[in-house]
Amino acid sequence: MTRTQHIPVSALLAHSECIIHSLGSDDKTVQRLAQMGILPGTHLQIIRVAPLGGTIEVNDGQGQNFALRQQEVAAMSCEPVAMPLISELVAEGQTYMIRDIRGGKTFQLRMAAAGLQEGSLIQIRKAGVKPMQAHFVDTNKQISLGEGEAKKIIVEVINHESNS
Amino acid sequence: MNPTVEPITIALASIPNSGKTTLFNRLTGSSQSTGNWPGVSVEQKSGLFPLGEYSVTLIDLPGAYALSPVTEEEQVVRDYFLNSPPDIILNVLDAGNLQRGLGLTLQMAASALPMVVAVNMMDETRRRGITLDLRAMALHLGVPVIELSAKTGEGLPDLKDALYEVIKHPEKTRAPHISCPPLLEKAFFQITEAIGKSTIDTRLDHTFLAMRMLEAESQSQWTSNEKVAALTRKWQRRLKQSLHTSFPVVCAGCRFNAARGLAMEVLGGQPVIEDKLSRRLDHIFLHRFFGLPIFIMLMFLLFQGVYGLGAPLQEVLSVAFDRAGSWLSSQTMVLSLPAWLQSFLFDGIWQGVAVVTSFLPIIALFFFFMSVIEDSGYMARVAFLMDRLMHRLGLDGKAFISILLGYGCNVPAVMGTRILTSNYSRILTMLLIPFTLCTARLQIFVFLTAIFFTSTIAPWIILALYSCSFVAVILTGFMLKLFRIGGAPEPFIMEIPPYRFPTPRSVGLRSWYEMKDFLSRAAPLIIAGVLLVWLLSHMPTNVPPASAATWAGQLGQILAPVFQPLGIGWQETVALIFGFIAKEIVVGSLAVIYGGTDLVGLMSNHITPMQSLSFMIFCLLYTPCVATIAAIWTESRSLRITLISLVSGLAIAWLTSFIFYQSGLLFGFH
Ligand SMILES: Nc1nc2c(ncn2[C@@H]2O[C@H](COP(=O)(O)OP(=O)(O)OP(=O)(O)O)[C@@H](O)[C@H]2O)c(=O)[nH]1
Ligand SMILES: [Mg+2]
Repeated sequence: MTRTQHIPVSALLAHSECIIHSLGSDDKTVQRLAQMGILPGTHLQIIRVAPLGGTIEVNDGQGQNFALRQQEVAAMSCEPVAMPLISELVAEGQTYMIRDIRGGKTFQLRMAAAGLQEGSLIQIRKAGVKPMQAHFVDTNKQISLGEGEAKKIIVEVINHESNS
Repeated sequence: MNPTVEPITIALASIPNSGKTTLFNRLTGSSQSTGNWPGVSVEQKSGLFPLGEYSVTLIDLPGAYALSPVTEEEQVVRDYFLNSPPDIILNVLDAGNLQRGLGLTLQMAASALPMVVAVNMMDETRRRGITLDLRAMALHLGVPVIELSAKTGEGLPDLKDALYEVIKHPEKTRAPHISCPPLLEKAFFQITEAIGKSTIDTRLDHTFLAMRMLEAESQSQWTSNEKVAALTRKWQRRLKQSLHTSFPVVCAGCRFNAARGLAMEVLGGQPVIEDKLSRRLDHIFLHRFFGLPIFIMLMFLLFQGVYGLGAPLQEVLSVAFDRAGSWLSSQTMVLSLPAWLQSFLFDGIWQGVAVVTSFLPIIALFFFFMSVIEDSGYMARVAFLMDRLMHRLGLDGKAFISILLGYGCNVPAVMGTRILTSNYSRILTMLLIPFTLCTARLQIFVFLTAIFFTSTIAPWIILALYSCSFVAVILTGFMLKLFRIGGAPEPFIMEIPPYRFPTPRSVGLRSWYEMKDFLSRAAPLIIAGVLLVWLLSHMPTNVPPASAATWAGQLGQILAPVFQPLGIGWQETVALIFGFIAKEIVVGSLAVIYGGTDLVGLMSNHITPMQSLSFMIFCLLYTPCVATIAAIWTESRSLRITLISLVSGLAIAWLTSFIFYQSGLLFGFH
């Protein structure tokens, strides 16, 4: 299932990734992006959000990172491909693969002990519950994650259409 | 090409931050001059260097991502290429940022001008363990490709050889064809054909010219040929209807498809790895919690570095000037001159030279630290950290530093606006800086608050004046944004370069050139301003200087009705006129104007605390000094902007003092 959408500013968190489908509507911005080689098809990875918010640092895998404003990215239509588990883009019932578990060694070990590691497939069956309940697709067990924990878990969207 | 004719023109062109200026400094050494591009406050640098039997003029163009302009810098670059094509293009590529750079390379290759590509920063690439297949690049682009490290000078002889060869045997660049959608190809073809049949005489490739015309809003700049222009307009309309994105964006898409392929071939499948050191440093400097405190600390150090080191040096210079002045004026030869001439020489010219010199230490230090911050890559981080705050004023984050440094001295701060990336930010920032409370104004405030207020209240008054200055900067910022004084803001999309070690050479050169530049451009204006005020306060010659009978005194009395509602008497008005030279001399001039020995006593009898506050507010907000005006003029190259700065300063100062004093009266203070 691929979804192209405008990603809201609040979901532009560090470690989110998306593929650009269209560059937005402000002519000057669009032209500037295009001239820097940031075009439809470009894979963007958000490195960090500025301490005061509003501005983000992005990597496009083609050279130097660059900074731009969140509105600029929000105006694009993008296909999210990865995000921290805490992101509002994580959809109910959708299967995600764990791409990365950030944070310290102890946290990683604790997650591993609970069965959560890189490559695990999980689903959020019910959105909005706290603490968050993540179901393992393979074993059907579940694990509950606090907000701080979910922030450190980066998941990747699995494209069902291309699998089947 | 024939060496006896004119010098060969080589233009340095690349995307921002790829090392053009570093290479420029390497090649030209000391023989360079700076100026502004006509009409815009974009720095123009050119320099001479010999190459075999030829003499070469090297032009350092501003960084541009493409010849289809978005920013004013890019417009400057585009106009330069179309109006006065250089003999050779020297394109610089950052080896660590190949794909973005190649976008421009491919576009310029299409111009058919002879070109040499220098792949710069090879030292960094080597450190990261990347090898590049530059043979493949040369083969593909059809131009010489030289590997280079402008910072260390490695590869420079090869580059010179390559340039020499190209001068000797100039060859049209045969650009690789970039395929575009059929409709565009058709448009290019037809316009190219029309250009070919017309009388347009150009060394540029006709298809290249056709593309530039299609992008431009008006063609009249490059052709008076109505047929070509009409055909171009026809195609512009047609393309607008059939393409769903704008034409330059479609072209960028095609170009970067080719650039990506080429970059991949040159890199041989190696991934683009980011600099590990930079990643680690950014973890600290851009940290969510520590980033801002570290920034504030660094700004404090910067401020101390410029002014803490600069002030004693200024002091030394000023003492030296005073001593030398009094020694000179006591020479018998001088004493035999008429009194007015003595005064003209010492209170006029000598004083003017002293004012100019007093700025040199802080300008040198200012640009020394600024280059360190800029070259190290931290400036881009500052822009990132401060963008949120400054964005509201329509400025980018870098403007923060310029405005902050205005709190030391407005002059270097205004000169420093040239590091800002857009003309819009430059204009806005240089209009805001005069509202910052510089140390010279602080001297007046410290002096006056000590006279009129107790030592417990005085610091609070000073603090209030600082707040007033902040508010003035912010409100004026909003106003300027509203009235679009600086044109339209440009999109903020900024590359963040890796951290680099600034070289003493480039930092030193920078400070040296800025001082030279200040001396040659702003200094004459400053001296003229000082002389003007000297004239006002010393004419006619038969009355005591600065007294009521001088032109300045008369002007003060003529202006009295204007200043009376502010509670400012004619004596203080004359002091304000002196304040145009420099705020440092306001207090001294009050002493001369009041003419007595007990200035403190005289003033406290003459002026109420309310009136002194009104005077201080006026001092805070009106024109800082003739040197700042001179700096604004030389930086903006615009009479309009200089006048706006003068008038807005005076108007805002008058209004604020008026509102303050009158509401004070209303509340029963006097
Ligand atoms: N490591 C390394 N750094 C370099 C080299 N050449 C330039 N630099 C650094 O790259 C940065 C940018 O160099 P500039 O010469 O200012 O680049 P520019 O192309 O003039 O930049 P704009 O004027 O903004 O377009 C500076 O910090 C230089 O010190 C090089 O060969 N190796
Ligand atoms: Mg430069």
